[in-house]
Formats: sequence, C-alpha cells, structure tokens
Amino acid sequence: MTTLLIALRNLIQGGRRTVLLAFALVLVTFLLIMLDGISAGLEATMIRSATTLSSGHVNIGGFYKVTAGQASPVVTEIPKLRALVAEKVEGVDFVIDRARGWARVVSETHSIWGALSGIDIDEERGLKDVVELLEGDFDALRADGTVMLFTGQAKRINAKLGDTLTLSAPTMGGVNNTVDVRVVAIARDVGFLSAINIFMPKNTVRQLYQMRDDASGAVHIYLKDESRAAEVSEALRPELAALDFRLMDVDPRPFWMKFETAAGEDWTGQKLDLTTWREEVSFLLWILTGFATLRWLLMTVIFVVIVVGIMNTLYISIRERTREIGTLRAIGMTRWGVRRLFLAEAILLGIGAGGIGALLGVATSLLVNAARIHIPMEAMQAIMMTDVVHLEVRGPDVALSILIITVVTAIAALLPANLAARLRPAGAIHHIG
Amino acid sequence: MSNPNAIVHIQDAHKVYPLGHTEVVALRGINLTIERGEFAAIAGPSGSGKTTLLNLIGCVDVATRGEVIVCGQATQTLSDTVLTRLRLLKLGFIFQSFNLVSVLDVFQNVEFPLLLQGKLSKAERKVLVESIIEKVGLTGQRGQRPAQLSGGQRQRVAVARALVTRPELVLADEPTANLDSETGERIIDLMRDLNHAEGTTFIFSTHDPKIMERADRLVHIADGRIVESTR
Ligand SMILES: Nc1ncnc2c1ncn2[C@@H]1O[C@H](COP(=O)(O)OP(=O)(O)OP(=O)(O)O)[C@@H](O)[C@H]1O
Ligand SMILES: [Mg+2]
Repeated sequence: MTTLLIALRNLIQGGRRTVLLAFALVLVTFLLIMLDGISAGLEATMIRSATTLSSGHVNIGGFYKVTAGQASPVVTEIPKLRALVAEKVEGVDFVIDRARGWARVVSETHSIWGALSGIDIDEERGLKDVVELLEGDFDALRADGTVMLFTGQAKRINAKLGDTLTLSAPTMGGVNNTVDVRVVAIARDVGFLSAINIFMPKNTVRQLYQMRDDASGAVHIYLKDESRAAEVSEALRPELAALDFRLMDVDPRPFWMKFETAAGEDWTGQKLDLTTWREEVSFLLWILTGFATLRWLLMTVIFVVIVVGIMNTLYISIRERTREIGTLRAIGMTRWGVRRLFLAEAILLGIGAGGIGALLGVATSLLVNAARIHIPMEAMQAIMMTDVVHLEVRGPDVALSILIITVVTAIAALLPANLAARLRPAGAIHHIG
Repeated sequence: MSNPNAIVHIQDAHKVYPLGHTEVVALRGINLTIERGEFAAIAGPSGSGKTTLLNLIGCVDVATRGEVIVCGQATQTLSDTVLTRLRLLKLGFIFQSFNLVSVLDVFQNVEFPLLLQGKLSKAERKVLVESIIEKVGLTGQRGQRPAQLSGGQRQRVAVARALVTRPELVLADEPTANLDSETGERIIDLMRDLNHAEGTTFIFSTHDPKIMERADRLVHIADGRIVESTR
C-alpha cells in the first residue's frame, strides 16, 4: 500500500518528466485503439459487404458448357439443389439463388464491364441493410428490365435514374445477345465490390443468356454461424455427388477466377463449384494483411521509443533518488521492496496513461462513427469497402490495449528497477544527488 | 564473545576500498566492544574512518578482514537478505542529512519501518507512531512533508523513525553536522533522554567537541585506528 503511495507521489513529484512520458503513453494507447478500431471496422465491413454483395456463407455455383471451349456461369436444376439444401444442411439462416453473368453495360456515351447479379428482390435479406439507396427504390427491381447501379458505376457511364442502358453478352450458344434495362435505383458505393457488381431482376439475366426458368447462377446459403462454412461446404460434396451432380475439383479461389480453368477443361454440360465466403473474399485479404503489417511496424517503432523513454526516465529518477534508495535499504527494505517500488511506478503510469488513452480512443471512435465522416479519396473508399469512416470498438481489444501498454512499461522498468535494487546501501546513503 | 553484555564486538577489523588500480585502507585493525545501554560517540578527523566503522556496525557493509559481531551475529558470514532483516528488526538509523522519504508526511515516515516489519495492525501502529511523535515534540506537524519542516524538526522525525521499532541499537553518522549548534545539542539531548528512558544503545559520530561531552563513552579514531577510548 505504502509502495503504491510512494510510487504515485513520486510520479506526481516527477512533474514535467512524468507528464511527458504519460503523454507519450496516452498517445500510443490512443493510436493502438484507433488502429484496432480501423482494422476491426475494416474486417467487419468487408465480411458483411462481401457476404451480401457477392457471396453467401456457402455457395453452390458452377459452369455450363455447350462446347468444350466456352464456359458460362450457369447452374441448372436450381429447385432440386435448393430442396437438397433444405433437407440436408443444418443451421441454415436463409437461402437465396442469384443468376450470374458477365456483360458489357452500355449507356448513350460510355460502356463498362460488369458482373451481373440476377436477384429476386423479395427473397433478398441482407442486401437492403448493406446497400443504402440514394435514389429510386428497391421495389422497382420487381419488374423485369430494370437495374440498380452504384454511384461509381453511374458516374463512369454517365447514367441517371430513369435512363435506359443496354446489356450485351454472348449467350451460351455463342451468339451475341442484348437486353435493354432501365435504371430504377442508385445506391451508395460499398468499396471494391460495388465497382463490378450490378444488380437486376433474375429474369433479366435469364433473358440475356436465354436461360431456362430452372436455371440460375448460384445457390447462396447463409448460416446462423458463419464459421461453420467450410464444414458445411465439405459435407455438401458427397450429398451432391449422390444425386449425380458433377463437381469441379476443390479449388480455394473465388468463383470468378475459375472461368479460364473451366473453359480450358475438356468437358461439356454442367459442373458445380462449391465455395465458402472466405474463398470468395480471399483476393481482398491482402488488404487486411497489409493493414496488420503496417500496424505492427508502427507499433514496434512506437514501443521501442516508449521503452527507451521509460528506461531513460527511470535511470534519471534512480540517480536522483539514490540516497533515498540507500536509506530505505538501510532501514530494512529488501531488494524486492526496492524493485517493487520502481515497478509500481511504471505500472501505475502504464495503467493511468493507458486508461486515459483508451478512454480518448473510444470516445474519438464513437464521435467519428456518429459524425459519419466521408472518406475523401476513391482509392481509400475502395480499400475500406465503405465511403464513411467506421471504427469498430471492441471491449476486449480496448482492455488488451491497456494491458499491452502496462506490460510494456513494466518490462521497460525491469532493468532500471533491478539496478536500483542492486545498489549497495553503504554507498547509496552518502550519495550526493 | 566473552562479554555477555556486549551488543557490538569488533576484533581486528580491516576495511579496504578498491579505488581504480590501487586501494584505500579505511580501517586498519579495529578492536572495540560496545555494551548494551551505552551512549557512545566516535570522534576523529575527516577521513579517519568514522563512517566506514558505523557502516560495518550498521550491517550496511561488511569488513574486508576481521570480525564484526552485532547483536550476536557475525556479519561477514551473512547474506544480504539476512543482513537486511537484522537491520530491520534490531537496528535504527539516523543520518547526517536526515534522509526522510520526501513524498511521505511525518506520520508516514515514522510509520514506514513498522510497515516493513509487517507485525502490527493499523491501529497498533497508529498508537505507537503517535506516542513517539509526541516524544520528539512534533504532534503539531504530523501531517506535514519533510520539505515543510526545519532541519531540527526533520532530524527529530528521523530520530522518531529510528526508534519506533524499539531497536536494540541506534546508529547515527554525524547527526548534528547539518544543524546549528543549539539545535544539534537539542537533538543529542533528545537521543540521550531516549537512551535513559528506554535503555536503547546509541553510537554516533561527530566532529563537535560540545557534542562529544554529552557521551558517556568516547572513542577517538585516526587514520583507521582507535587511538583512545574513554568512559
Ligand atoms: N566508497 C569508498 N571508496 C573508496 N574510498 C572510500 C570510500 N568510502 C570511504 N573511502 C575512504 O576511506 C577513508 C575513510 O573514510 P570515511 O568516510 O569512513 O571517513 P570519515 O571519518 O567518515 O570522514 P568524514 O568526517 O569526512 O565523514 C577515506 O580516506 C575515504 O576517502
Ligand atoms: Mg563520514
């Protein structure tokens, strides 16, 4: 108790030195919380966006080949597949199917390539939560020959609400076909994914590809527990094989990267391809990895600075307090007692400054989220998957940050504390400070 | 140890400090016995070895050669841990420049050795600390920090801190050197009173002839040797 009291009062006595060090620790904790918030926010947004825009937790997609050399992203016998899922897969939250396509989207002045997603708007669940409409309305997508664009796409082809666009793609037979669509909704961008995904009614995609009514692009299964995706996907393979469906080899790439593989293989007809959401977003993981690396680099540098700062401060403090240490040793304080005194100082500083930094970090995160700050650079928007800054604050992460800071300060104090403990009392008592 | 009443018994003690490539011989063959209840002064010119001798008796240092027995223990055979315990339980210290813990108030400074001992409850400590603070006449200052006190008052706190554990032996290295002569004499009188009242043994060093007069045992040292010892 007195150890803590002495440590605390010595910190206060330390004045400018303590304030400087505390300020540095507050700053580091603050940075740590903000970086945690950004990376956790990024991950959360990314997973949510990816699993609503272009993937389920488990996807049964596939290729249909009329000739050996050309593959279409088409799956037939959708009702049979959905029945199988309903019967065999446990822990399902909901199931949808979407038609897939890859087509040129032509406006009066421009054209872009887009990944078509043919949806049944009444069947969709997450989409309406993730996608924020700026103009138009979701219900209009019930009618055939309509399309929803993201702002970035609309800007690139200079399209406005109510404009008519032409979709152009080769059918499964290899002949070029076109369909006219009217822009009925414009949605806020959702990063990378919204750059290529274009949503329209399922029938419009079918029409473009001249597909049958029981054909679509993929069955997307949403689980109550997304972490079971791999296991569910694994279990589905033999079930599908048992119903005489042919399967592509296991390949942990997103579906869209398998076109060439499929087209290069020597078979015709239908083959199914199973993917999980992790596989579908694997091409985005570099963002998370890159961010994590950046964060560790930064933290390492900052930690080195902090450790050096603390050691330096404590060494100075020990030199100034040599006589006091000698006195305490003379009147019967053990080496451990002295060590504890300096460790207590560091730990108090760590907890105090770490706590304040964490508090500031959390408060700032909440403020930033509430202010819905717009990300100014498009490249940043694409990477962050959102156009407003979102910082995810997680209780355990905050606690961990304070713990890390405290442990680092304590470790930095070990050497100086040891030095203080090893001072010879006889010499220390008479030290002139 | 022949004399059962001896609290300190030193036989042919040498102390050599290494100093660069050479060495400094601070004590060269000290023989000294101090009995329980004595009020002893060690006198001698600067550099004669007073501090070194008190360090050996105070168990903050050990002799290079010879034997130093304090409270029945031969110090040169003991580990740092045991020496620390010996200091905590049996000895009290008063320093030339007071050496109080600057961030603690008077009460807390005096209480500190009791906390290190960890034997008494909070209530018991309070009674003990308050009675000793009263004895040294600082009841009015019990909540003040050392910086707010005069030199004489600070040394009174140090005396109280040294005596609060009821040690068998109190060591004081030039306790009056940083005080004006009148204040210094009052500190010595205070120590003398406590020596009489509690029977605590005191050994202190001094340059000041007036202070030496107050001792009932006077040990003169010069150049690391005892040149005269009178009662
Ligand atoms: N740590 C040390 N290292 C080297 N030499 C030392 C050390 N401490 C003391 N000495 C030397 O030992 C001798 C005795 O010193 P000591 O401090 O015991 O004398 P003193 O009688 O207390 O002197 P003063 O009256 O000035 O306090 C001196 O020559 C001193 O220089
Ligand atoms: Mg001296």
